Amino acid sequence: MSATLKPYLSAVRHTLTAAMCLENFSSQNVERHNKPEIEVRSSKELLLTPVIISRNEKEKVLIEPSVNSMRISISIKQADEIEKILCHKFMRFMMMRAENFLVLRRKPIEGYDISFLITNFHTEAMYKHKLVDFVIHFMEEIDKEISEMKLAVNARARISAEEFLKRVSIGYAVAVNAMAEFLKARF
Amino acid sequence: MSIATTSTKFRSVDVDQYNEDNYQDEQTEDTSTSGPDENQVNQLLNMGKNVEALQLALKNPPLGTKNQAVKDRAIALVTRVLLSFKSSEIEKAVGTLDKDTTDVLMKYIYRGFENPVDGSSGLLLTWHEKVFASAGVGSIVRVLTDRKRV
Repeated sequence: MSATLKPYLSAVRHTLTAAMCLENFSSQNVERHNKPEIEVRSSKELLLTPVIISRNEKEKVLIEPSVNSMRISISIKQADEIEKILCHKFMRFMMMRAENFLVLRRKPIEGYDISFLITNFHTEAMYKHKLVDFVIHFMEEIDKEISEMKLAVNARARISAEEFLKRVSIGYAVAVNAMAEFLKARF
Repeated sequence: MSIATTSTKFRSVDVDQYNEDNYQDEQTEDTSTSGPDENQVNQLLNMGKNVEALQLALKNPPLGTKNQAVKDRAIALVTRVLLSFKSSEIEKAVGTLDKDTTDVLMKYIYRGFENPVDGSSGLLLTWHEKVFASAGVGSIVRVLTDRKRV
């Protein structure tokens, strides 16, 4: 399974490098305005072909380029309930601070977990290859962080169950084990 | 005053569409390229001649038609051909194609990613890698910018 990780990330990297060719383009409908065309979608000729790169049925990346902006939407692997909750909360945490991230979008695109919006102004102020590196690094780190958080949640559940049951006098050891097993089964 | 002045329906008319500067997507129905010959491709696949089947399947891409069913059939056919290869055979197959065919192949690879089935994405990723090694970033840019989508 992890054999597909490297080709997946390199395919995403090459496609991002190709899609990040952005140039300044003022709005054709409103004078003196400059809007990211992928968000406004006012003229068909300014939008390029959106492409999807999938690693399996659950994990995929949608890249939508246009003349002066591009959107990358990532769908993260969520194997069970607790990973779904953790992922949702983690993404929400980051999207609330989207202003500090500069390239993050406040709302993900339908069907995906998180979206980036990169405009020509970003590529003018920052190195293109570094932006691509950032997105790829993000994709790698997210999976690791969610696994770490899941382990932390399980460890905390076990410890708090132990402490709670230390106060109970009946068959202490039996009760602790039973509770720990029950909580493990829940998560 | 006459009744016509109380109607405000004129506000919902989109007058911008009649502007002569408007971009017309010049997609004239082009039925000359109407998709690869399915029976022949199937025959070649059954005989085990993957490379010939691939060359034939990429020959007449339905770029011009607006008929979605033709495009869907072509995509399903090409995806089947691509998945019939083993990882080791891919590089040789890519080597036999010329520049235009490689561009068409790249388009089909990206369409194949949109419908992932068991293990298909892994093989398609290998295809993507080999085609990229042969054709470079330009092939991806041509997939993104070409208005004639497969």
